[in-house]
Amino acid sequence: MADFLTSTHRAKWVFTPQHLVEKYRAANQRARQVLEKCGATLMEIDVDGSLSYPEPQTSVKANAEKHSRTKPLSIDEEQCIRVFFENKIQEVCKSFQFPHKIQATALIYFKRFFLQWSVMEHQPKNIMLTCIYAACKIEENHVSAEELGKGIQQDHHMILNNEMIIYQSLEFDLIVYAPYRSVEGFINDMQEFCNADDDFLQMLKTLQDTARSEVDKMMLTDAPLLFPPGQLALAALHNSNALHKVLDFDGYLSSIFSRQNPVHRESEFIESLNAINSLVRKYKFPERKEQNHINRKLESCWGLSSQDESKKREKKSKHKSKKNSNEAQIAPS
Amino acid sequence: MGDGSSNRTNSNSNKPEWLQQYDLIGKIGEGTYGLVFLARIKSQANRGKSIAIKKFKQSKDGDGVSPTAIREIMLLREIIHENVVKLVNVHINHTDMSLYLAFDYAEHDLYEIIRHHRDKVNHSINQYTVKSLLWQLLNGLNYLHSNWIIHRDLKPSNILVMGDGEEHGVVKIADFGLARIYQAPLKPLSENGVVVTIWYRAPELLLGAKHYTSAVDMWAVGCIFAELLTLKPLFQGAEVKGTPNPFQLDQLDKIFKVLGHPTLDKWPSLANLPHWQQDVQHIQGHKYDNTSLCNVVHLSPKSPAYDLLSKMLEYDPRKRITAAEALEHEYFKLEPQPGRNTLVPCQPGETFVNYPTRPVDTTTDFEGTANLQPPMPVSSGAGSMPGGHGSNRTVPRPMNVVGMQRMPHQPMQAYNLASQAGMGPGMNPGGIPMQRGVPQAHQQQQLRRKDQMGMPGYPPQQKSRRI
Repeated sequence: MADFLTSTHRAKWVFTPQHLVEKYRAANQRARQVLEKCGATLMEIDVDGSLSYPEPQTSVKANAEKHSRTKPLSIDEEQCIRVFFENKIQEVCKSFQFPHKIQATALIYFKRFFLQWSVMEHQPKNIMLTCIYAACKIEENHVSAEELGKGIQQDHHMILNNEMIIYQSLEFDLIVYAPYRSVEGFINDMQEFCNADDDFLQMLKTLQDTARSEVDKMMLTDAPLLFPPGQLALAALHNSNALHKVLDFDGYLSSIFSRQNPVHRESEFIESLNAINSLVRKYKFPERKEQNHINRKLESCWGLSSQDESKKREKKSKHKSKKNSNEAQIAPS
Repeated sequence: MGDGSSNRTNSNSNKPEWLQQYDLIGKIGEGTYGLVFLARIKSQANRGKSIAIKKFKQSKDGDGVSPTAIREIMLLREIIHENVVKLVNVHINHTDMSLYLAFDYAEHDLYEIIRHHRDKVNHSINQYTVKSLLWQLLNGLNYLHSNWIIHRDLKPSNILVMGDGEEHGVVKIADFGLARIYQAPLKPLSENGVVVTIWYRAPELLLGAKHYTSAVDMWAVGCIFAELLTLKPLFQGAEVKGTPNPFQLDQLDKIFKVLGHPTLDKWPSLANLPHWQQDVQHIQGHKYDNTSLCNVVHLSPKSPAYDLLSKMLEYDPRKRITAAEALEHEYFKLEPQPGRNTLVPCQPGETFVNYPTRPVDTTTDFEGTANLQPPMPVSSGAGSMPGGHGSNRTVPRPMNVVGMQRMPHQPMQAYNLASQAGMGPGMNPGGIPMQRGVPQAHQQQQLRRKDQMGMPGYPPQQKSRRI
């Protein structure tokens, strides 16, 4: 594939931890402001394709009432929601038996999308499915939206409605590099480094399998937004080797760093390794109770909680009238 | 990249914001993927700079954003090279989910340059220009191949050449709609349908190879090289259309006639190609004894040019010369040496040819709707259009296309059917007079599309949590 060194992935989508925190904060802040102003945060894709926030509440009373019961999600709560749906991506891709590459691409799309937006602004379930759809398209494993929707019992129009906003939020940087392939590359390199015999090849296979599941874990953290895929792969192999003790990893590291340009130093890698492992250790899948609580909060931010059923119906009919007026406009003048 | 600005109309104009950055000059091409327009930038910084805007048609119903457009964008976002066309912006028309790709405009292409020499000036392209064009084509291709990208659709009309300006005479490879990254494909590449215009198609593809390589592009370069020398397509086979089968007997026959039959001796993996086995009687039907590539291209068999050409037209893809090797070939080391401006030879005495500019159909707007009123004269940049804007500009004719397939001449009304719905009524790009009463077919298309998109009546969200 195109060279990672000259890629948009490397140039634009590997962040410092501080930068990442700022981006999450900015998205959260914007959603909070919208909530205060409009009483709800969910963006709608209008008939003309543009995005808009809900209409600001005109009635002061309604506003005050709304205010008292709708609380925005905290940055940590947003993170919980993302973690939940990132797991879903892995589940859905497994149930469709998509290749690993698609799952990784969809995950990276999802992460990049929610760097730009808060989960309060776009429903992560829809975004997740659209990311999977887009990943299939990009990785040349085309699945129709209808097929995908059917498989998970969801309306496929929602996928099509969100597709463009995803590409746009990804700034059309659609080629992404997942660590799985780098793992493969390092394994091949190790074969040469060690003059492998048959037994050793078998051990390398075990090393690779464990490294892949190590990468699976990393993919659910912020690590893919913080480190290039090669470093993630090397960290995964390091951890896998710590378990299986297949080769002298320090010796192997020295060999690759001596072959590379002096940009990468071993000490820097050890630092990255520790940071990656700490992200994986800290990773926590939210408990059901906590998840339910955040979900209720989120739905009320969206303005979709059960009390709002009447409002939803109202919206629907508003939509209809908009459609009619649009049709009228198309007629020749 | 990708303007995030909303498509909402503002009070000043009905045009979407992104479109207001440009003056639309007219349509310069059309193909199976959509239309190409010439426009000029309005903003102070790049005022008057020419831009080619490629508008993609909506893909199949229910298939969302055109995969061809998305593939072209994703590749072009990653590649930056002097000999590859530059994508300067992506614009979105949300209403019909169509994409507009804005490229630096190239005035010429090899198809037009070859045609001009064949039909107008009646003499061959000078040696310096042939060599420089070939060198730059190989240079761009070497970059693509070393980034694991196969173009798969190289042909003269996809090889652009810049007009007047800082990059005058520089080659740009265009149209990445069929290009593929070939590292670890998830599916065999041949499942994406048969590709590469038949005349430039490599023999292994014609014989049904499942996994092909960057060598297919080198075969096409060989065909283009020969065409630059003789002004005629080298292997002009008649295509059998509508078959999913890659086997094209006439095309193979044209190749064998010039190069002789391939043999298992020279091309061992030939035995594994499905159509070599299945269609062996057909393939071996004719016997060509006195085959001679050097006579066809009028080159001495001892000349470096002939040596390079025959290495590009090597049957066995594994033995075929690579772009990197070709750049090192002796041919490029001999006088005249290749230069950056392919169109203007450095040596005095060589004939300088003034190539015509691309014909522009000023009667078609951004929606592809033909305007039946007389066109307004093109005021800006008229200087760069020799020949003025006389009668030839007002009549649509088969046009040179930026990186698109050539289509036979179509009557103007046909554009309406193929046109895309959606930028809303009243939009008038480039201030070109537009016909107000849009033909009926066009409207129906518009309405139907909206329904398919399921947007207007689509309930906001479902609460279902089945997943």
